[in-house]
Amino acid sequence: MEDFEVLLESSAEAHGHLCPGQVVGVRMAMLGCRMIGLEEPRRHDQIKKLIVYVEMDRCTADAVAHVTGVKLGRRSLKFMDYGIMAATFVNLATGEAYRVVSTEAARSLASAYAPEIADKSLQQLKAYKRMPDSVLFRVQKVRVKINECDLPGPTRYKAFCSRCGQVVRDQREVIQDGSVLCKPCAKESYFTDAAEVTWPDMNWKPECSVTQSRKDAKMAETNCY
Amino acid sequence: MLKKIELKDAVGTKLAHDMTEIRPGEFKGAAFHKGHTVCNEDLCRLQKMGKNHLYVIDLDEGEIHEDQAAAILADALAGDGIVWKDQPREGKIKLLAEKDGLFAVNTAALAAFNMVDEVMCATLHNHTIVKKGELVAATRAIPLIMKRAPIERAAAIARQNGGVLAIRPIRKAKVGLVITGNEVYHGLIEDRFAPILSEKVKALGSEVAGVAFAPDDAALIRKAIRSHLDQGCNLLMLSGGMSVDPDDVTRQGIRSAGAGEMHYGAAVLPGAMFLVAYLGNVPLLGVPACGLFHRITVLDLILPRVLAGEKIGKAELAFLGHGGLCKDCEECVYPHCPFGKGT
Repeated sequence: MEDFEVLLESSAEAHGHLCPGQVVGVRMAMLGCRMIGLEEPRRHDQIKKLIVYVEMDRCTADAVAHVTGVKLGRRSLKFMDYGIMAATFVNLATGEAYRVVSTEAARSLASAYAPEIADKSLQQLKAYKRMPDSVLFRVQKVRVKINECDLPGPTRYKAFCSRCGQVVRDQREVIQDGSVLCKPCAKESYFTDAAEVTWPDMNWKPECSVTQSRKDAKMAETNCY
Repeated sequence: MLKKIELKDAVGTKLAHDMTEIRPGEFKGAAFHKGHTVCNEDLCRLQKMGKNHLYVIDLDEGEIHEDQAAAILADALAGDGIVWKDQPREGKIKLLAEKDGLFAVNTAALAAFNMVDEVMCATLHNHTIVKKGELVAATRAIPLIMKRAPIERAAAIARQNGGVLAIRPIRKAKVGLVITGNEVYHGLIEDRFAPILSEKVKALGSEVAGVAFAPDDAALIRKAIRSHLDQGCNLLMLSGGMSVDPDDVTRQGIRSAGAGEMHYGAAVLPGAMFLVAYLGNVPLLGVPACGLFHRITVLDLILPRVLAGEKIGKAELAFLGHGGLCKDCEECVYPHCPFGKGT
């Protein structure tokens, strides 16, 4: 793995700013990967062995993902919406898993570790670099049972919603009164009042046989179809 | 885990912990020690101590007793020059100075240690001068039985940088004094600085190897400094000439003598115009005139630390501000007062 400072710089760039959460996230990822014996998580031979569960959608989550190279679309990054500054690192090859939890004590201790800095955010940033892992984190050895349908790789199973016909992948369908439903039809969705609409430039596409832009979409439509 | 049993059923069982008895103004201590087998005669006294139930210990895997925990904590906290005996009393272990010296506490690590649930350590102030055998800290785990993992995490925190607590030996320095000022140099007034500084130096076990006098002339101050260095002095103290007067050229003299690092000004009253410089590895302390008037000044806070090998820079002088105000009491009881205890 690269040096902490190198990782922090690239993580901050990818995230958009340098903040205390980036420091915590980079260190959390470094520790987590070390604990499960995958010290080069982005390397080809290791990337397929790693699954990371992040328990917050905060700056720290981006840093963890950046350092480890895990991605939502690769199914190596799992978001568990717990609101807890923690992440679990799983080695699929060995089954080992460790949950690294950022301590609340670290926040209170920032002034002790960086007393020369008055600005709260800058103080935390510096302090989180100075604290040993033992102060910044608690670590739990955990067991993580991963369903086959949650693993990386091709879609293993598809279902069809009996109400709207939507294809539902990876066993995310719901059975209600014996019927197979997608979550929106089962009223388990995050949105309500869905009504289908049309929109301007409906036929825009990034590629076609002649140069086009949104402006001449109409002409392109003629040429491309 | 702990099992609670009624007192009447306790005869024949062994006590899980020391049982503290407090008789106001008369006695506080262990009435019964851990491991004592309860007999019929004990029941009455235990009842008088307000005990109607006792604990019987049944340790699960991954659990430890407070005495074991205290030993793990003490071992981790104790850095250089700190000793302890594995004889917990009421769950507490005392940590003692193994030798004379300056007590050093990593206050950030101590705070981090105490932020771990169920452990505690209380210490004397950082930078306290202590004698061999003196109690400097005590630690304990708070519950009778606890999980091992948090104790070991607390121990890891305590172990950072070689232990939270240490005794730094106060070295015996060969001190060169330079007393500056035309008024003394030309005999207009009698110097009182040299005896005061010499007394402070001797009180800490060092010796004054030479006293040089210099007028308010940077070149002659430089010469006096170099002369002390040539004679092997490994700590220099200069008095006078630290203020803002045009005649106060001491700082120029120190600079021209080859001081690389120089910090002028400390967040302490008395002692705002204190100066710390380094000529190579040799520290030089510039003592302002307040040292003539006040019994205790910034010098008393810094000199032991310098002799204990601490490098004093801008931050160390700045951090003295909290607690750095002497109340100028009619009867000075330093070091038994808050002066200089803020860092």
